[in-house]
Amino acid sequence: MLWELIRAGLIALQDYIALHVVTCLIPAFLLAGAMVTFVSKETIIYYLGAAAQKLKAFALAAGGSFFVAACSCTVIPVSSGLYYAGAAIGAAFIVLWVAPAANILALTYTGAILGSTMVLARIFAALVMAFVVGWVMTVVFRREEQARLQPVAAPSNPGQATAPTHLMGRADVILLILLVISLLAPNYLAQKGPYWAKVLVWGIATIIVFIYAFWAKPKEELKRWMGETWWFVRLIFPLLLVGVFVVGVIGKLLPEEWVRTALGGSSVSASFLATILGSVSYFATMTEAPFVDTLMKLGMGPGPALALLLTGPGLSLPNWLAIARVFGVKKAIVYVVTIIILGTLVGWFAGNFLF
Amino acid sequence: MKIEILGSGCPKCFETERRVQKVVQELGLQAEVVHVYDLMEIARRRVVLTPAVAVDGEVKISGHVPTEDELKAILRE
Repeated sequence: MLWELIRAGLIALQDYIALHVVTCLIPAFLLAGAMVTFVSKETIIYYLGAAAQKLKAFALAAGGSFFVAACSCTVIPVSSGLYYAGAAIGAAFIVLWVAPAANILALTYTGAILGSTMVLARIFAALVMAFVVGWVMTVVFRREEQARLQPVAAPSNPGQATAPTHLMGRADVILLILLVISLLAPNYLAQKGPYWAKVLVWGIATIIVFIYAFWAKPKEELKRWMGETWWFVRLIFPLLLVGVFVVGVIGKLLPEEWVRTALGGSSVSASFLATILGSVSYFATMTEAPFVDTLMKLGMGPGPALALLLTGPGLSLPNWLAIARVFGVKKAIVYVVTIIILGTLVGWFAGNFLF
Repeated sequence: MKIEILGSGCPKCFETERRVQKVVQELGLQAEVVHVYDLMEIARRRVVLTPAVAVDGEVKISGHVPTEDELKAILRE
């Protein structure tokens, strides 16, 4: 029995990792590293703290989160730092939600495993949820916000005397676009073809990326880029290996019938169960995709699957506690409850009207 | 001299601390190295991007793991 389980875990590892390392993980890690290196986080955060208009701050928070933190361990300090630096509470919680729920690494991997429809649904749902969460936090805590933000009419930033205007250079934009292409080309262009075709497409695209990088960027920056990329590999790859192994074992342990009755279809209760499951348990970035894939093969409905994809990495019990410690218990409760309600609704809606 | 590493306990923050310790030793500095984990304290310092390094209360580096050369430059001052 034990051997059977270990074997199931190893097979899962072989399936996911072997098929995704070259054409999906490597370009995704390179892209994440490039974003950290070439996109000026300081600029995004400066404007986020300064944006006076609510809508503008919300849009900036949601959009910027794709770039700011691709790693869940950094998002709580980013969000609390923004909050205490004078950003509106809505914007701070949007960052807290979008960065783990829809970051570039997780989205790529979701696409490679679950297909483009699921990715688009995930992006769209994460953004809609982000705006609702931002709005709810703003409305619920509006009195407190007024008192908090009044003394600092203009958010002062002692560390930065002048506003940073540089977001990224033209060469950086081109390089990032090339990287995105090298990521999408093998997984979408050569989706139907044999595996070697994918690798070939990936190889050509990657060579182009590096030729351009060497031509357009100074050596020093390329070194930093590789350094940041290596960090992502070191942080996320081991977690991914463990995660996929555990997913393989769980897939073997879970009775198919149980999954089909509890999480199948697109009822509100299935969606709610998936949301709770995702909100409580901790998923390292990217591990949620193979987990959901396994559950779907066992009979989970696409609606609940979407709910789990969103709340899995977005929320977890340790995450609740950290949020409560930094923002206070009341805000943590409002946030968590809002996300659970929204997750359930999104899962139900997507299951009934989208898929 | 007081050197503080502000970090949430992430691997990058530990790597920063390791490099700071190494550089302090290499330069033979008399310095107290402290790792600040408290998120409230980090927020109070207006640090948004961790890991950050503060020397005598002033934040010098924020948002990336500093290289040893970078650390030497700010610690020599």
